[in-house]
Amino acid sequence: MRRLVEFIRSIYVVVLFILLELAALSYYARATAYTEARLLARTNSVIGGVNGLISDIGHFFRLGGENRALTAHIALLEEELARYREADKAGRLKVELREMGESKYRMTEAAVVSNTVGRAHNYITINRGGADGITNGMGIITPDGAIAGYIVDYSERYAVAVSILNPVFRGSGNPEGTNYQGAIRWDGRDPHFVTLEGLSKYADPQPGQKVLTTGFESYFPEGLLIGTIEEAILDDVGTTYTVRVRLAADLSAMNNLVVIENLDYQEINDLQKSDVIQDLQNN
Amino acid sequence: MHHLPAYILLFVALSLLQIFLLNNLVAGSFLCPLIYVAFIILMRLDAMPILMLGCSLAMGILMDVTMGMAGINTIATLLIGFLRPTLIHMVSTREELREDGIPSPERMGANLFWSYLVVMVLLHHTVFFTLEALSWGHLWRTILRILLSSGTTLLLVWLTARLFTAKISTRS
Repeated sequence: MRRLVEFIRSIYVVVLFILLELAALSYYARATAYTEARLLARTNSVIGGVNGLISDIGHFFRLGGENRALTAHIALLEEELARYREADKAGRLKVELREMGESKYRMTEAAVVSNTVGRAHNYITINRGGADGITNGMGIITPDGAIAGYIVDYSERYAVAVSILNPVFRGSGNPEGTNYQGAIRWDGRDPHFVTLEGLSKYADPQPGQKVLTTGFESYFPEGLLIGTIEEAILDDVGTTYTVRVRLAADLSAMNNLVVIENLDYQEINDLQKSDVIQDLQNN
Repeated sequence: MHHLPAYILLFVALSLLQIFLLNNLVAGSFLCPLIYVAFIILMRLDAMPILMLGCSLAMGILMDVTMGMAGINTIATLLIGFLRPTLIHMVSTREELREDGIPSPERMGANLFWSYLVVMVLLHHTVFFTLEALSWGHLWRTILRILLSSGTTLLLVWLTARLFTAKISTRS
């Protein structure tokens, strides 16, 4: 009798273990990058405050470097502004502005609450959420204008973005000065590099050339910096290049970010999901 | 059920360390120490298997939720929690088990204690990083991550063990 009880007891632990492992495995198998982002967005309403405090402390020690970067960027903007002032003097600006119309992008600043670069799927959590008008599909860039990711989920006060260092990140880029574009992918290895895939052989990418956003994804405006070309390899058939791009944004040292709202995002997204387009895709 | 307050303190301290310090440290993509396994490792030698499973489940889920990892921590931690009683029986004698103690080099001998630590941490990290990478394409990279992270975790677990046993022995 005692043996039987012993046997049942040992078996019952094994059975429980197998059941729990199966439950965990099936949850993991069905999880997508967006499940992970949702988990992070939910827990951040609890632990976000402390994480924010910790990143503030780290932030304090990096203020010097950040100030230098900002000053450099201000200098650049001043330069550009000076050009407009000149144009204004010449009386041309008024005409040009009228033709440009209102910009469809709006920028907001935000601070990084937590951010990883060492995982297989990396996310950036920021201290702006639904209450600040954050919604899915907004792009995030570093203060000096290099892309870093886009928002996929948000809570009341926080939002989670897929980092460019995440295999689910979707983006496209083109070498500066050309109209040929390729897909931006992270291969999961080095947090300083991404690849630009499927670039036409006519693009003739050169090391050191800049890679800019195309504006096709509607997360980012056209012409934002992604990185610089490190090397380009022509594939075996000789039709497309696979280009290794050194990221302009240092994702391991981010404190402040700029969130970009595309005022037309919803409209474009709805249009792409319209019944007519769906029908075409199904046929 | 003595030592219960000490174990609650250990659980809270390790979780806080992992969530707020180690998860925020950016030390290259090869060093991701997971100190929370120390909780499973330092459970009493005679802890019931069902208690081990319960504690592993609690710690695993807490880590998954805070890291946004969708189950990987739970899978790895449940495995070492389940295998721990078997492992303990392999590395310690009956008298030691009856003493109802915490695993420590004094009780188990330095060699056995270290082998116990290495097996537990390596097992956990192998499952964790393999599932995280989920492709054999980065095999060497994954192996390197397992080894380097395990090394760091081992060091941290050893430090935790020293601190924890020092505290307990002055109390009892």
